[in-house]
Amino acid sequence: MASIVQAIMTGILLGGLYALIGVGMSLIFGIMKITNIAHGDLMILSAFFTLMLTANLFKSIILALIVSIIIMIVIGVLVQKFLINSVIDKGSEPALLVTFGLSIVLQNAMILKFGPNSQLISTAISEVNIFRHGQLSMSGQYLLNFVVAVVIIVILTILINRTSLGRGIRATSNDVMAAELMGINTKRMYIIAMALTMTATCIAGLLVGSTFVFYPSSGTQYLIIAFGVVVIGGMGSIPGTLIGGIILGVTQLLGASIFGTPYQMLTGYVVLLILLTLRPQGLLGKAKRK
Amino acid sequence: MTEKTSSRRTKNIIKLIVLIVVLAVLVVIPIGGGRIRMTSVLILVFLYMAIAQMWNLLAGYSGLVSLGAQAFVGLGGYSLAMLSQVYGLPLWTGFVAGAVISVIFALIISMPIFKMKGVYFTVGTWIVAECLLVLFSIWKFVNYSAGYNISATYKLTPAAIYYVALAICVGAIVVVVLLLRSKFGLSLMAMRDNEAAAEIRGVKLYRTKLICFLIASAITGIAGAGLYLNIAYITPPSAFNISWTVAMCFIVVIGGIGTVEGPIIGAIIYVILNQLLYSFPGFSMLIMGVIAIIIIILAPKGIMGVVNRFFNVDLFGIKRRL
Repeated sequence: MASIVQAIMTGILLGGLYALIGVGMSLIFGIMKITNIAHGDLMILSAFFTLMLTANLFKSIILALIVSIIIMIVIGVLVQKFLINSVIDKGSEPALLVTFGLSIVLQNAMILKFGPNSQLISTAISEVNIFRHGQLSMSGQYLLNFVVAVVIIVILTILINRTSLGRGIRATSNDVMAAELMGINTKRMYIIAMALTMTATCIAGLLVGSTFVFYPSSGTQYLIIAFGVVVIGGMGSIPGTLIGGIILGVTQLLGASIFGTPYQMLTGYVVLLILLTLRPQGLLGKAKRK
Repeated sequence: MTEKTSSRRTKNIIKLIVLIVVLAVLVVIPIGGGRIRMTSVLILVFLYMAIAQMWNLLAGYSGLVSLGAQAFVGLGGYSLAMLSQVYGLPLWTGFVAGAVISVIFALIISMPIFKMKGVYFTVGTWIVAECLLVLFSIWKFVNYSAGYNISATYKLTPAAIYYVALAICVGAIVVVVLLLRSKFGLSLMAMRDNEAAAEIRGVKLYRTKLICFLIASAITGIAGAGLYLNIAYITPPSAFNISWTVAMCFIVVIGGIGTVEGPIIGAIIYVILNQLLYSFPGFSMLIMGVIAIIIIILAPKGIMGVVNRFFNVDLFGIKRRL
């Protein structure tokens, strides 16, 4: 019984991290209607930047994070401007293939630059246990992940729903043509959305990198998690990612606690496939009108 | 009119002669003192050509962009490994089993997978392949993640593997060409150009796509067995690696999506580039990625798209005339 409670509790906290991984992908999909296959690799790249900056340049991890956010925004804007914007009008497949190519390039560039070995960003909080009671325990890192994720998702939701910038983004997402007629520079909205995505992704990268070991090739695994979160929560729904993340996190850990650790990923995948089959538009997503 | 048909007929005869000559040269290469290196490069070209041809049949004609084709490469490879290594059966049974298991698996997953549209289908197929990867790594029946040596292949000469690969490649191309030249191919091409219009004209979308999916799965399974006949050692991370699909995708995109000639040219370029960059393992993929991105942005229809703009190439008589 205690192991089930532990699994659910840790699953919820892990779900917060998953939501933060997925929220950028959801933004991109909601606004540009494209799936960014390079999403996971961009996150791992940001984790490497933060790791390198803390190791070599700064003492403070926050300072390193801010600098790597700036670097990632520049990279994101360049990717958007030169790669995605040039194929975005040609439908979803070319964009899919371009980001797929980008994913391969990033993965191999990271292997060349940082080597194939595992890395971990060590922080003061990774070892701390918030409480330990009998068989139950809660890690400080997991709690931090969850809190940060919720804060970021709330900020993004307010930004999208309550500000005039958010209105422009939503208009672009609803109808590009009409938004342009209303004087909104839609390609600029895409770039702003990409910058927001990169900020969230960079923070997710730091948290992932300080919670789990990561490799240059880890991006693929996190891409599937991001995709799962977004699919369960509904493509383009920002609050939905939190629900999607928690469902995925809890299922994975319940699967691991019931069937054994090797089944953790498998349970997550199977639940994802079932949800994809039954509700292709996601739990909170609106069904597309025909 | 008669002049036109007769000139077309001479053209067809020339094409046929060229194809026969090419095939004859390919058959003679290992006998005629072709160097071992050349034989081994051609084996890869043939097998990659076959799997890319299948990926193209799905992505280029049926609108089914799959990132899970490695599932069938892995199933084919494991069929060969299990039957020859564990049960001691002759190697050819592995190929038959590879095709049969792939078709059955494709039929089962088609039920949930075909409910997903567009991007969801793409990632759905990928998740299915990842499931197989995890499953094979924790499954006692397939020796967990340790995998198998396929020792029956040690006795094969490079020439024998060469002919198997050539047969798979020619078989795959013949199947695709026959398919496209038939009435079924007409509905496929109608579907590629405009799904809604094709459906209104009576093309049964679901059935047409399912048939393509099953054919592609079977041949990818056979080619998977062929690939592992050549590699002779199989583990889940290599068998179900996304890099198989990356290769297919690059070959098709570089050569020209939605053409039969595209994967042929693409496979030759892909394998040669890989061989040239062999001593820089990371760089070869990096450069392939950059090339693919540039081609998608500048020439979305690939090399064949550019060639077709200047010459109307139709090597296999697939294009229709009104």
